[in-house]
Amino acid sequence: MSRRQRKARARHAPEPDYARRQALVLGLLLVGFALLLGRAFERQVLEHEFLLEQGQRRYLRDLPLPAHRGQILDRHGEPLAVSTPMDDIWADPRHLRPDHPLIPELAGLLDLTPEALRQRLREAAGRGFVYLRHAVRPEISARIAALARRQRISGWLGRERTYRRFYPAGEVTAQVVGLTDTDEHGIAGLEKSYDTLLAGHAGLRRVIRDAQHRILAEVEQVRPARNGRDLRLTLDRRIQFLAYRELKRTVREHRAQGGSAVVLDARNGDILALVNQPAYNPNDRRHLTAKGLRNRAVTDRFEPGSTMKPLVMASALDAGRVRPDTPIDTDPGYLKVGRNLVRDHRNYGLLDATSVLTKSSNVGITRIALEFPPQDLWQTFHRLGLGQVPASGLPGETAGVLPAWQGWGRFEQATHAFGYGLSLSTLQLARAYTAVAGDGRLLPVRLVAGQDAAAPERVFSAATARTLRRMLETVTGPGGTATRAAIPGFRVAGKTGTVKKVVNGRYARRRYQALFVGLVPASDPRLVMAVMIDDPRGKAYYGGLVAAPLFARVMAGALRLLGVAPDALDDAGGRLARAEVSP
Amino acid sequence: MSARRTPARRGGHALVLPPLDRGLLGVTLGLLAFGLVMVGSASLATADHAFGDPFHYLFRDLLALALALPAGALAYGVPPQRWQRHGTLLLFLGIGGLVLVLVPGLGHGANGATRWIRLGPLNLQASEFMKLFAVIYVSDYLVRRKEEVTHYLSGFLNPLLLVSLACALIMAQPDFGTTAVILATVLGLLFLGGAPLWQFAALLGLTLGALAALVLTADYRLRRITAFVDPWEHVYGAGYQLTQALIAFGRGHWTGVGLGNGIQKQFYLPEAHTDFIMAVIGEEFGLPGSAAVILAFAFITWKAFAIARRARARDQEFSAYLAQGIGLWLGLQGFVNMGVNMGLLPTKGLTLPFLSYGSNSLIMACMAMGILLRIDHEQRVAGPGSGGERGPWAR
Repeated sequence: MSRRQRKARARHAPEPDYARRQALVLGLLLVGFALLLGRAFERQVLEHEFLLEQGQRRYLRDLPLPAHRGQILDRHGEPLAVSTPMDDIWADPRHLRPDHPLIPELAGLLDLTPEALRQRLREAAGRGFVYLRHAVRPEISARIAALARRQRISGWLGRERTYRRFYPAGEVTAQVVGLTDTDEHGIAGLEKSYDTLLAGHAGLRRVIRDAQHRILAEVEQVRPARNGRDLRLTLDRRIQFLAYRELKRTVREHRAQGGSAVVLDARNGDILALVNQPAYNPNDRRHLTAKGLRNRAVTDRFEPGSTMKPLVMASALDAGRVRPDTPIDTDPGYLKVGRNLVRDHRNYGLLDATSVLTKSSNVGITRIALEFPPQDLWQTFHRLGLGQVPASGLPGETAGVLPAWQGWGRFEQATHAFGYGLSLSTLQLARAYTAVAGDGRLLPVRLVAGQDAAAPERVFSAATARTLRRMLETVTGPGGTATRAAIPGFRVAGKTGTVKKVVNGRYARRRYQALFVGLVPASDPRLVMAVMIDDPRGKAYYGGLVAAPLFARVMAGALRLLGVAPDALDDAGGRLARAEVSP
Repeated sequence: MSARRTPARRGGHALVLPPLDRGLLGVTLGLLAFGLVMVGSASLATADHAFGDPFHYLFRDLLALALALPAGALAYGVPPQRWQRHGTLLLFLGIGGLVLVLVPGLGHGANGATRWIRLGPLNLQASEFMKLFAVIYVSDYLVRRKEEVTHYLSGFLNPLLLVSLACALIMAQPDFGTTAVILATVLGLLFLGGAPLWQFAALLGLTLGALAALVLTADYRLRRITAFVDPWEHVYGAGYQLTQALIAFGRGHWTGVGLGNGIQKQFYLPEAHTDFIMAVIGEEFGLPGSAAVILAFAFITWKAFAIARRARARDQEFSAYLAQGIGLWLGLQGFVNMGVNMGLLPTKGLTLPFLSYGSNSLIMACMAMGILLRIDHEQRVAGPGSGGERGPWAR
């Protein structure tokens, strides 16, 4: 087709209708805008509820309101367990990558090696959240937060408030106060047994967060945080410290496997100190051992040995069978009971009832005990709390073992009288002596202040208790087994015990447990203390040599702390004078 | 030279506005002011986080406006015939710029795309300029080759080939949104210019096919398409942006949450101050806010076509096509951007003219508006009924 022909054809073609085309295009565009208006109405009004809900799912967050756990305090309000604010440090590994230039500085603040931090981030790669370190001190976490702000990575690196349990008294109260796990649930000691009271209940608040985890506004408090309640103990931190220090020293000096001591208030049964060795530092959990965790003073039972003799004596006094000066023949130093032999260390010859205790004669106490029907003796032991948990509130208390009297033969009755064949804990031993320290009534023990306790139960008459105390004073006096339990200025009543240690169900050769239990001042006791040193491997192993000096040192300090007036001023003068003469 | 004199000086006294469409000017200035406020609101949090300066974007948007308004005034000072005379030159200038963007070392960009040429403190975005240049070129072509356009295939293919070359360069950046707007605008102009319907239909089919092919060859575009159909299926992937935008609209409801109170812009909605500023408007000003912006764009489109109709009535054919082209461009880009924001169209990167952050987009939109106002101005000063292409300032 030639150019001319094409032009000719073009002239014949109809002229396009420009106006209609423009109207059509404008119309289409305006229809488009109308569609937009409809869409806006649909999104903003019809789908409002759905979209609002979708949005809230993304920006509404329920965050915990931290609540702190209650404190554990001593009787004077000194803290033994407190919850200190700490921060958990978290990061978003999608942004804070292992090759981020800030890693070395951050690792330094977190007390990690840069490689450890990188490893942590690598392991969490792809996730949006990882804890870099738990429980960082607030001053450190503040520096991390400042670093994040400065580097504009606040959205990827942040901190969360938590609380970390701190034990100001450390190992001194370790087993009594116990431990919490990382979630602040009690797992040992009072932390465990009083967990429901101590536990704080985190609240919940609903907040609007931006996509960087930052809180824009608080919408509502869903549930308020409820802090845990404080637990006040009967413990006296000063006496506890003293007892712990001396126990640790004694265990070390005598190369013992362990030990425990309990100090009770003789007037009401309050536990003023309860210490154990070995112990652990509850603030540093890396070295926790089962041995250290064990609260030996309440969980471990041992045979009380000679410390049972005064209680048998009290029973006899109470029944009117003996008086302090009743003669008792221990010649020839042994006694045949059935087919067995009861021995003394040596032949004490003719003694009176008092010196049976002073010399701790097995033969003497056996003669007295065998006068009783078995159920009477059992009854006394039972009333003194043997075979029953002392209910101090500590977990894992042992009840000890008190065999039923029906099974007692004469030899069993004899051995029970000098403390074999039955067992109890240090706490039970101290408690049993509250019946001697007071007016003959056994006191309930109490570790938590203000706790309702059972009423004291009478075991002996007040006169019997008084008489027995006078008899027990001879133990710490000249010629007694525990002269080292004497405290200048005070009259001290007490009883030693040295028992063969049971290992794997049999008495082990040359392994002992050294015991002492005593009351001060003997004229009107304020304190009862029981000491058990387990397996002293030094030269000395007698209760009078191992346990009694510890008793004297702790009681001397405690009496001073409590401001107890000396009850042996004249005598003390004499003793002090003697001390001056012979250094 | 009379053409260089500013219209303001032509008036009796300085304070009187030159003859122009005050409604159109008012709506444009209103959109610009609203855009400035919304860019500020949308970017305070992100700017503070990224630059430590909450006013980072607001300040730069203010600077862009300080450039865009004089640019618009300058465009208003240029008679249409001047644009017409240099139409082809401008097109090749634009194509040259697009080539430079793709030269390694010259082009800069973000998010995996190369968009700008650094020119001192300025970032030149060649594709934005291309929109206006393509409209001018095609408008001139439609006048020059009227016969060819209305009757022959060549009159249809020639301009399309040149524009397609530019579009191919823009696709190489890649910038799918801008390509679509330019192609649609040019096709619309060819339709308005009288291209035979069968040719038009065939080519439209081919173009759509090509676009579909592009969509299918690039995986991420396909995902964007499917994401738009049901964004809630892809909330953490391709549909993330759209769901966050939809949540913003939904939160707005009847009255909006109030200026500055939006949550979605707080790091949930990416590009809140650029491509998704409409969502922020919807959240903070509710349905009235969205409707006002939609109606403003409808008004601008309608005005542009009304001006075009008057120009055609005076046989100012180039001016008519130019006004139609500008109307198509601004209307389409506004429609596409808002459609994307509301989930009516697949997600693609496009600014909302006059409102979004971005100096090139602002400057070009203002220049387009200046040209539109100038065309209207020509009709006013020529008085009713007088015809002819030659205005008072034409040589």
